Amino acid sequence: MRGRDGTRSTLTTVVALVFALPFTVLVLQAFADSWTAPALLPQEFGLRGFRDGFAGGGAGAALVRSLQVALTVTVLSLVIAWPAARVIGERRLRHPGPVILLLAVPVLVSPFAIGTGLTGWFVRLGLTDSIEGLVLGHLVFSLPYAVLVLSTGFGPGLRHSEEMAASMGLGPFRRLLMVTFPEIRPTLAVAALLSFLVSWSQYGSSLAISGGSPTLPVVLLPFVGGDPEVAAALSLVFLAPAMVALAMANRAGHFR
Amino acid sequence: MLAPAVGTTLLLFGGALAGAVEQSFTPPLGGGLETWTLESWRQVLGDPVFVDAFWFSLRTTLVATLVSAGLALLIATLMRTRSAAMRTAVAFPVPVPHLIVAVVAVLWLAPGGLADRVLGTLPLNLVRDQLGLGVVLVYVFKETPFLVLLLLAVMGRRLEEQEEMAAVHGIGRWGRLRWVIWPAVRAPLLIGSMIVAAFVFSAFEVPLAVGPNYPPSLGTYALEVTKSDAIGGAGQAAAALLLGAVASIAFALAILGLFKARREPDER
Amino acid sequence: MVVGPSGAGKTTLLRAISGLETLDSGRIDLGGRRIDRLPAHKRRCAVVFQEPRLLNHLDLLDNVGISLLARGVPRKDRRSRAAELIDQVGLGELAGRGVKGLSGGEQQRVALARALCAEPDLLLLDEPLSAVDPNRRASLMELILELQSDRQVTTVSVTHDRAEAAEMGQHIALLIDGKVLQSAEPAVLFERPETERAARFFGMNVISGKVGGGHLRLEGCEFPVSGPDGEAVFSIRPESVLLRSGAGPEMTVVESVYLGSHVRLRLRAGQTEIESHVRPGEAPASGEKVRVCLPESGLWRIPEP
Repeated sequence: MRGRDGTRSTLTTVVALVFALPFTVLVLQAFADSWTAPALLPQEFGLRGFRDGFAGGGAGAALVRSLQVALTVTVLSLVIAWPAARVIGERRLRHPGPVILLLAVPVLVSPFAIGTGLTGWFVRLGLTDSIEGLVLGHLVFSLPYAVLVLSTGFGPGLRHSEEMAASMGLGPFRRLLMVTFPEIRPTLAVAALLSFLVSWSQYGSSLAISGGSPTLPVVLLPFVGGDPEVAAALSLVFLAPAMVALAMANRAGHFR
Repeated sequence: MLAPAVGTTLLLFGGALAGAVEQSFTPPLGGGLETWTLESWRQVLGDPVFVDAFWFSLRTTLVATLVSAGLALLIATLMRTRSAAMRTAVAFPVPVPHLIVAVVAVLWLAPGGLADRVLGTLPLNLVRDQLGLGVVLVYVFKETPFLVLLLLAVMGRRLEEQEEMAAVHGIGRWGRLRWVIWPAVRAPLLIGSMIVAAFVFSAFEVPLAVGPNYPPSLGTYALEVTKSDAIGGAGQAAAALLLGAVASIAFALAILGLFKARREPDER
Repeated sequence: MVVGPSGAGKTTLLRAISGLETLDSGRIDLGGRRIDRLPAHKRRCAVVFQEPRLLNHLDLLDNVGISLLARGVPRKDRRSRAAELIDQVGLGELAGRGVKGLSGGEQQRVALARALCAEPDLLLLDEPLSAVDPNRRASLMELILELQSDRQVTTVSVTHDRAEAAEMGQHIALLIDGKVLQSAEPAVLFERPETERAARFFGMNVISGKVGGGHLRLEGCEFPVSGPDGEAVFSIRPESVLLRSGAGPEMTVVESVYLGSHVRLRLRAGQTEIESHVRPGEAPASGEKVRVCLPESGLWRIPEP
């Protein structure tokens, strides 16, 4: 059963490196002032990428926008997902299939399509180019993830603990604080992280909905192929939350 | 209890669909229900660019999904007993936004990019190439780790123990693959592949960044049509995107149906 | 039977025999065939593990018949042979069912049927009773013994429980720290151990002392023994220790525990501690002083290493 461990080991290392290492070029390019072919390393290091990228405040404003929208989407997603996650997680549904399917359908459809479809309504409601519009446009995509992930944290076990606490005389708020939250906290963290990332990375719907005040990815794309240092610099900033997510997931032992 | 989530989804998703439908039927200069026309639909379906874009998206989706699935299966089998550090490394692309992966791909694969410099020269053109290889590559790079994680979740200790059991009952390597491993991985693989296919088909920012100028992807087509045709553009874009959405969902349901149908006669 | 304390290497031994672990050195022969170079699935050894390891996506019959799957036996034959075996392990009514909802004991029976269905040259059982309810263990043990003798299949079973080893095994090997200390019939191991460790494992008292003039000196008293003079180590079963007045050292009862079939006493005098099992009616209470006799017939001199 355990033969040829050596080749397997090297192969696995190679594969792992293939998926992780290419991103280092991002760091190099972002901090390069001059890096032309055929050099394997930048000729000059510097911060031009960052300076030019954030010049004129466009990228900075977009960054703030993305942050605002993502945080709002996260909070809203969790709040809306919570009751549904409870119902699904505690297996209170006779036929969970159709419900899960319905909730998961937005994942299958192009964000640009959804964004385009919503824009019609937003024009009428005066929501174009607003944070509210963006939030709504992202919410439809983060909600499925929030519900599905959060539902894994609920279960009959937690319910039993809450019932026990109720029988001990703890009111609903106390129960939430002292029984439910500690138990659900890790799952809640993952769901929050996922919702944040989904909103943060959104492109298609952002493009359709935001007009004059875009989000960070929308600002980023035009630089790709055009100005590699700026693209790399903005990408590093754009990448930051994803790396935080990876670190937290690793710590929480999700890769054991 | 389900109401907020279901309600929100129905409202936003349904609303978006309804909005797109409305747009697609509304004549170019606007108008109410009475003026609804098939004009936009006719324009789109008759547009050779649309047809090309549709096939382009379909092709890239099929190739990217199949390659990702196969690769993921291979990698998951290799990685099964490896350390957590290895898994974190493979999982790296998962939380990274598609756009960033596209940026990295350009840095490496564009003419004059890093791959060119390291290897001397690249035999193929991978960025903005006619076949959309760059697009496929980016998606394979991004989605394979996702599938790997899905697979590893079901390939743990339990599966190893079952394999040992099969081995000591006279079942060799291929038999174990067929009767122990495959039944365990096929569900996550199929569902994961379904999600990957849907993602790639709706591909947007990646073709914008590394895809060919012609043919465009479905999403890119919609974008271009909106920009180029100020009057009829919105309607056509809506029609094109709706066709895409329908195809996406139909494809997913087809895979699900295939999956369910295979289950019965399989246990032989 | 292979018996030994936890960590002795019993499971590793089983895994090595069945091919799940590779050997650093040495060889394994089975029925005249050398098998240590063969992959696990070619060795014709079937293993019943500590966990049932059933496949969820197959029903009971297909699980039991899995060894026949690889041999290309057609479905009907597979399932009918499996049905026979499921009957023999007492689960006949459950035949068409899936794996879910079976108790631990039932699952182990299925695993047993599965192993037997493979008609192996060697049947290996890794602590098969440990995953089962204590009350159900007796019936599972009976079943194993019955099936084993019916089919005459060579069986190696591993356990840490010496009573289970004695009851199930025709031949016992004691494994401690990866080495076989002694291998013999149960009676020999329980009454004539070759080493001190073996003596202790099988629950004997171990007494070191000096032999002079055909007598063992212990706490000022002498017991007749055979063998040359000098330092020696003796062992004696708790059941053989006699309590009666007269000659013999006086010992204090440090602990007296009622165990239903007997009372377990711990007796101490000076440096020496001895365990004794007596009939419930005759047991002294804790704190009492009694005179202890070690009859020559019960004293076994542990051979020099």
